[in-house]
Amino acid sequence: MIEIRQPGTRVTIQDAGRPGLRHLGIPKSGAADKLSFALANYMVGNPWNTPALECVLGGQHFKFHADMIVAIAGAEMWAQVNGQNVENFSSFKVREGDILTFSFARIGCRAYLALPGGVDGSEFMGSVSTYLQAGLGGLEGRALQARDKVGSPDVTTQPRTIPHGYKPLISNHVVLRALEGPEFSELTLDSQRHLFVNPYRATKNTNRMGARLKGNLVKPKVERNMISSPLLPGTLQCPPDGQPILAMADGHCTGGYFRGLQVIRADLWQMGQIKPGTRISFRRSIGDDAFEVLARRNAFYGILMDGFSF
Amino acid sequence: MSNKAYEIIPFGDSGFLVKFPVETYSEQVTRHIHGVINALKNQPNWEELVPGYNSLLAYFCPDNFPPSKALSALHTALKSTSTSKPVKQRLVEIPVCYGGEFGPDIDVIADSSGLNAEDITKIHSEPAYTVCMMGFIPGFTFLSEAPKILHHARKTTPRGSVPAGSVGIAGWQTGIYGLESPGGWQIIGRTPLKIFDPARKAPFLLEAGDQVKFVPISARDFETAK
Repeated sequence: MIEIRQPGTRVTIQDAGRPGLRHLGIPKSGAADKLSFALANYMVGNPWNTPALECVLGGQHFKFHADMIVAIAGAEMWAQVNGQNVENFSSFKVREGDILTFSFARIGCRAYLALPGGVDGSEFMGSVSTYLQAGLGGLEGRALQARDKVGSPDVTTQPRTIPHGYKPLISNHVVLRALEGPEFSELTLDSQRHLFVNPYRATKNTNRMGARLKGNLVKPKVERNMISSPLLPGTLQCPPDGQPILAMADGHCTGGYFRGLQVIRADLWQMGQIKPGTRISFRRSIGDDAFEVLARRNAFYGILMDGFSF
Repeated sequence: MSNKAYEIIPFGDSGFLVKFPVETYSEQVTRHIHGVINALKNQPNWEELVPGYNSLLAYFCPDNFPPSKALSALHTALKSTSTSKPVKQRLVEIPVCYGGEFGPDIDVIADSSGLNAEDITKIHSEPAYTVCMMGFIPGFTFLSEAPKILHHARKTTPRGSVPAGSVGIAGWQTGIYGLESPGGWQIIGRTPLKIFDPARKAPFLLEAGDQVKFVPISARDFETAK
C-alpha cells in the first residue's frame, strides 16, 4: 500500500486507457506519456499496461506501507527517498515508512511511479484510468488527495533495468512529427508555413484535455462554420482567434474547429510531457514515412515489452 | 466539394476520415455512416469508429493492418452499405419536462418563432429523431434536425453549467446533455433519465443510430421519475 502525503499539482491513477468508446463521447484517457509509463512498469517487472500513478509537475510526497521495489520514469523531478537522490528512469528498493518526494518538474511535465503488480483503482469499461471530466476510474473518479491510501497487490516481481538505447529523451522543447489535418488546405499559406517552421509555446491553459498554444497566428483562408466532426489525441484544432489547441489524451471526441495538423502516432507519447511554457515544433511527416516510423518503433519497443504499441 | 457521394482522406497515419458533401443534416448520409459502422465494428483492427453528422472517422491499429488494407476494407463497407433503409429500428422514449425551471430558454424560442410554450412542446416532441453522434462529452446526444420553426442560434455567452438531462436547440440541431457541463445551447426542457450513468450496468441509454421520441411530462412526473 502507498499513502499520498502530498498530492502536489496532481496525481491520478492511469493505465493504458479505454479505447473504442469515442463514438459515445468517452476519450481513451490513459497515461499521457504512454512510453514513460510503460517503461516504469517494465522496470518493476509488470506488464507494460499495469495501472500506475501519474504525477503532474511535482510536489508529491508518498509514504510506503510495505517494503517493495518501485520505479520512476518520465519528467525529471529531482526525486528523493528520505532526502537521498534517486535516479530518474530507474527502479529501487524502498522500505516500510520510507518517503518518496518529487520536487518540481525541471524537464517535462509528468512522472510515473510504478509499483509491483500495479495500484488498485475502480474499473470502468475495462480500464482504471482516471477521467476527471466524467468522474470515471481511479479512486472514486477523482484525483488523489493527501491521506488517500492506494492498495497494491502483494506480489513479488523481478526488477529490470532499461537496456541501452531504450530510454526516451524528455525535453522542454518537444518536436512532434505531424501530417496535414483534414482542413489544412483551408488555412492561409502563411499559416501553413508557420505551423511547420516556427515553434509554438504551450500556455497556462494546458492539461490532459489539451494545450492552448501561442505563436504565429493560424488563420483560415475563408471563415466558415464547420459541422462538428471527430477529433483524436494529437489533432491540432484551429479556432477563429488563430491560437491553436493541441488535443490530448482526455480531449473532446468531436469538435467544430478546423483540424490543421495530426501528430503521428509514434510521437503522441511526447505530448504527455508538455507543460505551460514548453516549446513545441511541428515537423512535416509524409503518410508512408509515418507508418514506417510507427512500424519500426513498435517493433523496437515490442522486443522489450510484450504487446506494447504506440 | 465534388459531386461524389463521399471522399476519403487520411487522418493521421492510422486513420481515415470519410467526408460527405452535405452541410446540414441528411437522413441518407446518416444512414450511410451508421451502416458503414455496423459493417466494420465487428472486424478486428478498428480501434475507433466515430460518426459525425457529415463525416466518419475510422481509426485502426496498424500493427497487423497496414493503411492500404484498412482503406480497402473501408471502401468495401462504403460501397456495400445501403442508404435506403435505416440500419436500426430501436426506438427509445425519453420523457421530458418542457419549460419552467427545466427549460429556461423556451421563452427565447417562443419569441423567435411566435409560438407559445405549449406549441413548442408539441412540435418538438412530434418527430422521431435519429441519434447522429455522441460526444463532445460522455453521453452528449446530437440528434437529427429539429422542426424548422424551432431553429435558433446558440446563446452568445454560454452558461457556466447546464444540468445533466437538459434538452436544447443549437441552430438546426437538437440534443441532450448527458452530463452536467458548460454549454451554449438554448435549453427548452430536461429529462429525469440519466443518459449516461457510469454506475449503471448499461452506462449508456442511447447510441448512434437509435431513434428518439420525446414524451412531454409534468414537473410532478419529473420529480417522481427521478
